[in-house]
Amino acid sequence: MTARAELLERYRALPLPTTKDEHWRFTDLSGFDPDAWTVNGASEIAAPPSIVDVEASGVARVGEAGIEIERAPDGVRFELLPEDHELLYSLVGLDEKFAAHNAAMWEHGLLVHVPAGVELEQPLYVRIANAVDGGAVFWRLLIVAEPGSRFSLVEEYASASPELAGYSNAAVEIVVKDGAKVEYVSVQNYSRATWHFASHHARVERDAELDWVAGGFGSAKGKVRIQNDLAGEGATSRVTGAYFADGTQHLDYDTFQEHIAPSTTSDFAFKGALRDTARTVWRGMIRVEEGAQKTNAYQENRNLLLSKTAHADSIPGLEIMANDVRCTHGATLGQVDREQLFYLMTRGLSRSEAERLIVRGFFQDVLDRVELDPVRDALAAALESRIPQA
Amino acid sequence: MHPSKGALTHMALLEIKNLHVALEDGPEIVKGVDLAVDLNEKHAIMGPNGSGKSTLAYALMGHPAYEITEGQILLDGEDVTELGADERAQRGLFLAFQYPHAIPGVTVTSFLRSAINAIRKARAGEDDPIPIPEFRTALLAAMEDLKVPRELASRYLNDGFSGGEKKRVEILQMALLKPRIAVLDETDSGLDIDALRIVANGVNALVGPETGALVITHYQRILNYVTPDFVHVFVDGRIVAEGGPELAHRLEAEGYEAFTPATVGGDA
Repeated sequence: MTARAELLERYRALPLPTTKDEHWRFTDLSGFDPDAWTVNGASEIAAPPSIVDVEASGVARVGEAGIEIERAPDGVRFELLPEDHELLYSLVGLDEKFAAHNAAMWEHGLLVHVPAGVELEQPLYVRIANAVDGGAVFWRLLIVAEPGSRFSLVEEYASASPELAGYSNAAVEIVVKDGAKVEYVSVQNYSRATWHFASHHARVERDAELDWVAGGFGSAKGKVRIQNDLAGEGATSRVTGAYFADGTQHLDYDTFQEHIAPSTTSDFAFKGALRDTARTVWRGMIRVEEGAQKTNAYQENRNLLLSKTAHADSIPGLEIMANDVRCTHGATLGQVDREQLFYLMTRGLSRSEAERLIVRGFFQDVLDRVELDPVRDALAAALESRIPQA
Repeated sequence: MHPSKGALTHMALLEIKNLHVALEDGPEIVKGVDLAVDLNEKHAIMGPNGSGKSTLAYALMGHPAYEITEGQILLDGEDVTELGADERAQRGLFLAFQYPHAIPGVTVTSFLRSAINAIRKARAGEDDPIPIPEFRTALLAAMEDLKVPRELASRYLNDGFSGGEKKRVEILQMALLKPRIAVLDETDSGLDIDALRIVANGVNALVGPETGALVITHYQRILNYVTPDFVHVFVDGRIVAEGGPELAHRLEAEGYEAFTPATVGGDA
């Protein structure tokens, strides 16, 4: 049997998760069949408009039909991901149904390998777009930041048309070696009929820093898993999430802060706004291993409900095996306050302008955490555009 | 002297006619108020706690929790009784709140610019944003006049502000939005003498050929700095006595007891 055939067997052996599985308790996949989507059928890679406007030194476009590397910066490997890379599956493995599906099916992945000490001034940019109705996109990204390197990568998911039905399965592995700093931005703006499942897993080594931004605006339903291993002493990771769900959208973020080494820091902050009958699920787990003394870990999820029929679940969690740690978490659920709206309207703002201002204010602190200006602007614009004009 | 005596010759800018206001599915709080406020006039409504003064202010501004069960509010001859708070503001009505609300994440500067632009847009019928240099100049000048510390401009609106800071920023908003009728709902309460003077100066500077003001208060104190042209004594949802500034002094000396509805009789 070929390696791929084996991987497919592993995938098939795993049952589709149900709401009886703890991690899927609030995300019901009834009626969804990951095998019902065609893998091929497109001959061209779609180029829907992007919302993040960056001057990038490396650009790649990904779709059902394959991957196209438009340009790559000098001195950096920004190229097709080889199937036999030694780090492949080291972080996103085969134990979970959708990760296993990706491992079995991906064909056109990208390897980003930045050598030791190399600093890239301009970010790298990848756009993943689905364009085939009923099609599937399996996207795989491996990022290796060698010691002391510094760079940022922006990944944007989009659909060629707003009505397109599709299945997206992404697996992203990030290794940040000693003293390196990586900014990783993942903005998801798929059609409302695209199911999106993603497994992102990063390992942050000694004195290295990972700064992560997750934006969630599109898709029908699915789950985005984000795991950061603080694997070397002095490692830091910061993950900032902003999402907006309306209509019947269902967004699910499942985050895991794994402190393995001592004196490590992680800081996860997710904020979301919901309207109509949208649902969001956020699950956060901080685990501090026995040897990870002097861990400083923080997680928060705050949701703003813009209608009474929207629903947000937040499930924070702590598992602490060390005794000298500082772990804090918070989760809140709020509504746009009628008195706040009235106050703003007495200054001449229409109801929708007032609401937009309140929503913008709600997201301001997470937006302030975003270091790349074009990314911050794109997120702010994407969030504000979701408040209907009167 | 009666403030609406001029109504025979011309209509005041703000006319309140037989206004009755009830809480949503609740009791009637304002029980028939007639009042006219014109440009260049300072009116004071004085009343004890619980008399319905704030309800009157909220209803004037169009708060959705207060239902106007009878009567009319006319602004420049237009019936605004059914309009939303935003439309009233766009027509020149302003309410300085007794308890201004915090809007976390929105700076005073950004909020003020949004508000000015919303009003300009409504008046022009299309986007007509204030040029940034013009806005900055106006903002800095108003902050200077009202002794609002510079750093407040970049803080989130009313978020963690002291009581005095909130009131000053209410007056700052009033100065920049340049309303035609400004209603101040107990803006004086809880202020030290310096802050009170600043608030009063803000009102005095605003009232003129372009603006009239209605100062709602429990105390005589602010009226030492804002000399009202007309004083209306408000008890149990009604205006029970009206007069000039001397009425405020009488209230200070005699208290509201002398004006309870049962005793008013031929007094007023």
